Amino acid sequence: MILLCGIPSESPLALVGEALDSICAPYLWFNQRHFASSDMAFDIDERGITGWLEIDGQGVPLESVTGVYSRLMEHAKLPELRGQAADSPARRHCDALHDTLGRWTEISPARVVNRVAPMGSNSSKPYQAQLIRQHGFEVPASLITTDAHEVLAFRDQHKKIIYKSISGVRSIVQAFDDADLGRLASLRWCPTQFQQYVPGTDVRVHVVDDEVYATRIESEAVDYRYAKKQVGEPARLSAMELDDDVAERCVALTRGLGLVFSGIDLKFAPDGRIYCFEVNPCPGFSYFELNSGQPIALVVARHLAMAD
Amino acid sequence: MWLVLCETHDAAASWAYSSLRARGLAPLEILSAEQLALSEFQEHRLDGPRSTLRLRTESGLQVDGQRLGGVLNRLWTVPIGHWRQAGEADRNYVQQELFAFFLSWLHALPCPVLNRPTPQGLCGQWRQESEWAWLARQAGLPVAAYRQTSRDTVDESRGERRLVPAGATVHTAIVVGARVVGAAIPSAIADACVRLSALARTPLLGVDFVQSPDGWRFAGASPTPDLRLGGEPLVDALMHELRQSERAAA
Repeated sequence: MILLCGIPSESPLALVGEALDSICAPYLWFNQRHFASSDMAFDIDERGITGWLEIDGQGVPLESVTGVYSRLMEHAKLPELRGQAADSPARRHCDALHDTLGRWTEISPARVVNRVAPMGSNSSKPYQAQLIRQHGFEVPASLITTDAHEVLAFRDQHKKIIYKSISGVRSIVQAFDDADLGRLASLRWCPTQFQQYVPGTDVRVHVVDDEVYATRIESEAVDYRYAKKQVGEPARLSAMELDDDVAERCVALTRGLGLVFSGIDLKFAPDGRIYCFEVNPCPGFSYFELNSGQPIALVVARHLAMAD
Repeated sequence: MWLVLCETHDAAASWAYSSLRARGLAPLEILSAEQLALSEFQEHRLDGPRSTLRLRTESGLQVDGQRLGGVLNRLWTVPIGHWRQAGEADRNYVQQELFAFFLSWLHALPCPVLNRPTPQGLCGQWRQESEWAWLARQAGLPVAAYRQTSRDTVDESRGERRLVPAGATVHTAIVVGARVVGAAIPSAIADACVRLSALARTPLLGVDFVQSPDGWRFAGASPTPDLRLGGEPLVDALMHELRQSERAAA
């Protein structure tokens, strides 16, 4: 049995559900919005990890769950909890249910795509960049500083630089230009990340276990995800083949980060170097699948089903 | 230079600092999370294969990450008191940014760091009781059965979920590398503590036990144990671990 966790209408989850249907793999929805009619318990003892999950009156032993695809949204923001006091029975049950599910997925012997702890590397871009570097990819020269003079020297060295958040919050890449000079004084109170601008072709690589799908992205925007806002037209996506060596490094990087499924952002620079900007541990792949025709959801579904 | 990094009122860290200093580990400095966050100059670079850190605190202490001999790291949070006037969204953002910054530069330090940071904790991975119970079983420690349900009424925010009843007398053994100090536990249990430390990738680990009629029973673990419980043997072990790079250079 495969468990899909989140809100079924969310695009990546919906696509994986459809893919599981197409290969006739049995699955069960853990619909967060139905928390009121869901219950869960698990035990850790000499038998290992056992337990029970009940959803809308249907119960399954946790030992029968062999695959989990989780895209849980922040449950405190569920519409069903709107207006509920912090200590209301509904909110407390929702908290306890998600806590129980979260703890079980971290230790469950099932194939979990992905467990929460390994996803944490994405919460610090320079931390993750140090891990990425170990897998043979270039990472852009980066400076995190509270000092304006260091920023100006960094710009002199690299000519064109960008700035972006260090964490995963407000993660929008912006070009640094003269209009930003007046704001450098405020660096003193929060170190800020600057990076060399790397020209070239953006490539998103989705890795599922040892399968690799690469998508070329063409856009004039500094951050293609916001291409329409930044340059007035959306990015153009197309499937592409990677050299075996690059594909193998993408698989090794994904495994090295403790992930099964990843979305890797590469840039193929004109000088032949391949830079890796980040590894997204919970990729919203539907944008790429729907624009490139690559069967990413099907590969995720097959991976989950193979454990059965 | 060696560093002890800690929260402002970490008495165990202050004790370790004084003890290491008395043993002649020098130069040794102690820096609080607040002093680090308020450093007047902070610079962390990734350039090719190199990662560097340079800090200058408000008191003028200069830290060069490449020149550190070792770090006893007990950082847990990154204080943002200097942002108290900002709105909640901005404060949350700064908190995340500073955590991400500390995580990266701590990871980049080439010297021995007890413990190295993880995304789940600046001084080692924070784990839920269920995960500790599972790891402890795998390490061969005696662990009581753990059960959790979505109908439990414990208040997680107050730490009410425990592996042993509240108020039980807890004995703490502390793993430092391959040594175990603190509570006088049987050698088989000590060996299992070292295995737990390895499984948890946390070389400095406090492992709590209660004594039951059946013997010692696992009660929890922490990357920030009260170091004072380890006494002088713990200082010996810390000296050994923190001087590794010095020995390697020799």
